[in-house]
Amino acid sequence: MGEHGYDVVIIGGGVAGLTASIYLAGKGFRTALVSRGDPACCLSTGCIDVLGAHEDPMKGIDRLPRNHPYRIAGRRTVIDALEAFLGLMEERGLPYRGSLGRNTGILTPIGTTKTTCLVPITMEASSGFTTTHIHVVSFKGLRDFYPSYITSRLANTSVSVFDAGTSSTLGLATKFDEPSFVDDFCAWLSGLELPPGKIAVPAVLGLKDPKAVLQRIRASTGREIFEIPTLPPSVPGIRLFRALKDAFLARGGHLYWGNAVASVETRSGQVEAITMAGPCRPSRAHARAFILATGSFVGGGLFAQRGSVRETVFDLDVKVPGPRRDWFLNDFFSPGHPVEASGIEVDSSFRPLGCGLKNLFACGSILAHGEIMRHRCGHGLAIATGSAAARACERLLS
Amino acid sequence: MSFEHCMRCTVCVENCPVAKVEPRFPGPKQAGPDAQRFRLDGEKSVDAWVNYCSHCMRCQVACPYGVEVADIILKARLKYSKEHFSPLSSHLFANAYHLSKMGSLAAPVMNRITPLPVFKQAMGLLGVSDVPDLPEFRFLSLERTRRSKGRGRRVVFFHGCHLNFNRPDIGRKAIDLLVAFGCRVAIPRQQCCGLPALGNGDLEMARKFALKNASMLTRYVNRGFDVVYSCPSCGLTLTREYPGILDVPGARKVAENTYHIFEYLLPLVQDRLDAKGLRSIGRVEASIAYHVPCHLRALGIGYPSVGLFEMIDGLSFTVLDNDCCGLSGTYGFKKRNRETAAKLGAIAAGAVRETGCELVVSDCGACRIQLGHYAAMPAMDPIEIVADAVSSGPLANKRRTLAERVASLFPSIKGGTP
Repeated sequence: MGEHGYDVVIIGGGVAGLTASIYLAGKGFRTALVSRGDPACCLSTGCIDVLGAHEDPMKGIDRLPRNHPYRIAGRRTVIDALEAFLGLMEERGLPYRGSLGRNTGILTPIGTTKTTCLVPITMEASSGFTTTHIHVVSFKGLRDFYPSYITSRLANTSVSVFDAGTSSTLGLATKFDEPSFVDDFCAWLSGLELPPGKIAVPAVLGLKDPKAVLQRIRASTGREIFEIPTLPPSVPGIRLFRALKDAFLARGGHLYWGNAVASVETRSGQVEAITMAGPCRPSRAHARAFILATGSFVGGGLFAQRGSVRETVFDLDVKVPGPRRDWFLNDFFSPGHPVEASGIEVDSSFRPLGCGLKNLFACGSILAHGEIMRHRCGHGLAIATGSAAARACERLLS
Repeated sequence: MSFEHCMRCTVCVENCPVAKVEPRFPGPKQAGPDAQRFRLDGEKSVDAWVNYCSHCMRCQVACPYGVEVADIILKARLKYSKEHFSPLSSHLFANAYHLSKMGSLAAPVMNRITPLPVFKQAMGLLGVSDVPDLPEFRFLSLERTRRSKGRGRRVVFFHGCHLNFNRPDIGRKAIDLLVAFGCRVAIPRQQCCGLPALGNGDLEMARKFALKNASMLTRYVNRGFDVVYSCPSCGLTLTREYPGILDVPGARKVAENTYHIFEYLLPLVQDRLDAKGLRSIGRVEASIAYHVPCHLRALGIGYPSVGLFEMIDGLSFTVLDNDCCGLSGTYGFKKRNRETAAKLGAIAAGAVRETGCELVVSDCGACRIQLGHYAAMPAMDPIEIVADAVSSGPLANKRRTLAERVASLFPSIKGGTP
């Protein structure tokens, strides 16, 4: 069995786990990140929802229930974490835009508005899309993107279709990584007779350097252009994930991808080591501290059984809202099914309650009372609690 | 996990290098779990597009539910090859071991012939691509010059075909490193790991290789030896495919005692440094782009070479793990995959060049051939970097060989000071 020693091991490679890992690796701790696979972040729009249910997310935090993870972290920590995120994304060449004091609305592929807080620079021009003419450019054969949904809802839109010779979002993004393709696309755009306004494209403007692609098209056409998020494969989601993962690697962090945690060793109130199952043979990692960021039901951190919910790595106590008959609302689409509040309850240092493990911290959507769908706070909560747990862990380590 | 655990989240498609550049490949989700629902044992396969898969296994590493996407596609490819006529190039590359053996035997002649346009044209008729160049062969292969070395922990070195026939110099450095950190290294006669045969649809030949290697390695493991490999693809085949798809008896025990060279050396080097109160193994003034091979990711052992790089003074490195080089062993050497391999090679090489580094380093021989070609810069094995650091550093073996001692008695032999 392979054997590895670290200062801290983070379990779970989503936005929360990556945020915590980047922070700790940046502080010079020997940091390892273990993940079963790619996180749900790769399937997301790449936008950072901080608190979609309130017009001003920062003011909204104070109106949340006292046990919400944002309240445990505190408003100051949330602001610091999100500002650190903005700085980090600037460093990685994938700048994010937006104000923490006001939500913004961006255009969705079905012509509705998505309320969010921080958006990648490629979606910055989407805000205020109802006030000007929007010309939607789609690509021939592109699956799961139907511009007529947009034109049927919004009178101020028109559509044209470009034949790029490929019909998947990733195929298109790969083409946009080539400068010669971008030039061809710009030449074609310039040939269209468009009324004044903005251009919208599905989110395929390159994987490597979307900022440069954006600037190139803007310079060539003299128009604002923005991306509309798509169904997975979601290019902005992949960009966000890669930017975070590469930031972690650049800070000297070690990745153990494709590894589920098979077992844990604890002794006298401390987690001593975990055993990673590994696709070929197991290996063991011991550390001075551990951070649990395995996500909720979709991420695999929580597993619902008939009448209970299990935490899958440490078998921690899971707070569940009553018996199973109380878990769900009758209307599937209404936000805030009570089961969403399930998760791990933590103390003010983000240590799970009731397990007595002093060097274990938890962050992200595995935390109880997050209610991400209801408050619309997914990535924001991951960044804020990931950062808060990492700071608490730093105090323990130093 | 079987195809039934797939919840169609599309993470595998996001990681597929081939689907990015080859629209005819529907991607791992459709070629894997989706199509598996319709494949029946009694019915002939109709899904020719499974053969676009390069078996990089990135889909499988990415799957958060543990669905063995790449294995599903590999089994579909094996089924397809069994039921259909395989192209000549597949038969050629399945026999990569035998051809390399001949290449090595006739090395001085072969190395002059292979770059000739007429040879490339002839190979083109057989379905072999003209880029990148085939690697040079060495007559003094590892198996021809093998002998046990060193004292201490008992290790058997599985060198694989590339180090054996094409880069025995790296193989010798690997052996010397193991010896330097207290290992007794045995290099028994060994076959190809079997992956080229498996990847080219020849399950029987792969199994034949596997049975021979496994019985040899089992004898060593039973005597207390650990198995050490340096090629990630060989390692993956030994530890995952032998007990898995090739179903080789006793392979589980071998797998449990099989290590990547740096996974094995890391604790030994750390102990040596701690004992001497040192922090670094030596100095190498270079900035390198470290390209992580897909099959190293598939091993799930992290990136052990990075652990050694961190112990070298003066070395700055950038870890690149987003791109597949596109060669995928023998995949990119086939004419029908030429375009795909070239596009992926250019993407991965672009990432290498963007780092501004002067050197690309990768654990996999195929990655080095491809990236050396497309990035147009020297490509090295981490073993070379580490060996370089150790030989100049404080842990270097100060004991001189007999020849050196003799030479030092007669300075005139070397024409200078000893």
